[in-house]
Amino acid sequence: MTNESSPKPLTHIQFIQIQKSYSKNGFGIFNQTKSPNIILNNAEIQLKGGECRLLTGKNGSGKSTLLRILAGLLKPNSAIVNTGLESLTWKKANKLIRQNIMYLYQEPYMFDGTVKRNLAYAVRDGKSDYQIEQALKWANLEHRTNTSAKCLSGGERQRVALAQAWLKQPSVLLLDEPTANMDEESRQSTEDLLRKFKDSGTALLIASHDINHFHQTMDKHLLLENGLIIDISNEDSFKKDNEKIQAYDNISIFPKQNNLTHEN
Amino acid sequence: MESLSSTILDAITLLLSGDKELWNIIGISFRISTTAIIIAMIPAVFIGFTLAYANFPGRRLLISLFNTLLAVPAVVVGLTLYIVLSRQGPLGEWKLLFTQTAMILGQIALSFPILVAMSHTAFQSAEIRAWDTARTLGKNPLQAFFIIMREVRFGLLGALLAGYGRIIAEVGASMMLGGNILNSTRNIPTAIAMETSKGNFSQGIALGIILVSLAFILTMSLQYMQGRGRLTHD
Repeated sequence: MTNESSPKPLTHIQFIQIQKSYSKNGFGIFNQTKSPNIILNNAEIQLKGGECRLLTGKNGSGKSTLLRILAGLLKPNSAIVNTGLESLTWKKANKLIRQNIMYLYQEPYMFDGTVKRNLAYAVRDGKSDYQIEQALKWANLEHRTNTSAKCLSGGERQRVALAQAWLKQPSVLLLDEPTANMDEESRQSTEDLLRKFKDSGTALLIASHDINHFHQTMDKHLLLENGLIIDISNEDSFKKDNEKIQAYDNISIFPKQNNLTHEN
Repeated sequence: MESLSSTILDAITLLLSGDKELWNIIGISFRISTTAIIIAMIPAVFIGFTLAYANFPGRRLLISLFNTLLAVPAVVVGLTLYIVLSRQGPLGEWKLLFTQTAMILGQIALSFPILVAMSHTAFQSAEIRAWDTARTLGKNPLQAFFIIMREVRFGLLGALLAGYGRIIAEVGASMMLGGNILNSTRNIPTAIAMETSKGNFSQGIALGIILVSLAFILTMSLQYMQGRGRLTHD
């Protein structure tokens, strides 16, 4: 990473007391007895520069909701943001969050126009050609510079999004299933780019089902369950020990998570 | 048949000879409608955007309301504004009736629902991911709004052309609010209506040719733009 245009002011950020519930749509009288659908209940998460956290959880457990809240895109019922220097409400921290945290969709949205144009949106003045060229080179997209971004494959789109992130230089990068539906080659190149981010001091939070693929990269393994975020990194090592003794076939999903959880 | 063809020939000669009165009418028509569409466009696009992206109580009601307003006949819009602007009306003191301003107001009222409804549809065609992506790239809401506008530009231009098509060719409201005064509020449609009732067909047909060619150009550009919009993947 040679792009030194914007310094990284945040090396550490913590979200505590994250509360999010969706009220069920409908008319009051039919809903009175039902409780609102609670997605996050007093969850907390800490993100550190240069560390990669993997977030797993069942489908519908609220991983995307959590990521969008952390990125400042979705309003939680309440949340407190702790930067180490100050403690702010989510709303007051929104500008800070959006300057420092970037969120990447599972299928990144490509704006109408060329790849170059898409990257230009990530540059502050929109005219820094040199930086854009560097970003294209970094993500191995030089041959796609003037291709219409909407015509790219899933893996290439992900690389465009990562190149945008490289240009924006966020302190924290949130990724929603970055390697889902990808072939091995695209997956590998995405992982390589993610590792470069990590090595340069960016905090990564990856929501994924693919524990195996991120095993090398991740420092901590978080599980989102029943509205809470639980650190299960230790159980991973426990599982690894177990692995030596007995082979287990369930690779992606932890067996009997409920019995294993202990909060840190 | 001979009389029809000779009338059309007369009409074309009239247009080509640069008849001052005729071209004056055409000029008034375009000036009024263009002013109206420009004034209506800005708030309408903003409302269309808000309806598509913001979630607030009464949103669906508002959408239905604008869709209903689409179907309100021009004469009813003319009548309503006539009552408001007439001497005894609430805005009677402004003395706007039978002025170009009154016509502009009428055309704003006519084009506004089309612009809102169609720009709402256009904005709906862009996903929430587009907005989120712009925001997470560090754009402020206004910058993100312009980025989204660019994403749906063909749809927005379509809205503009459809709105323009409606007001440039509309008789009812123009007649009631403008009063068909020569060199002031006589525009193409009111002039056609008048010349025809006078039996002055070549004048009417000459103006009709202008309107039909305009309609053709508008439709063609609309088709072209929608075609362009559909060419992309995703």
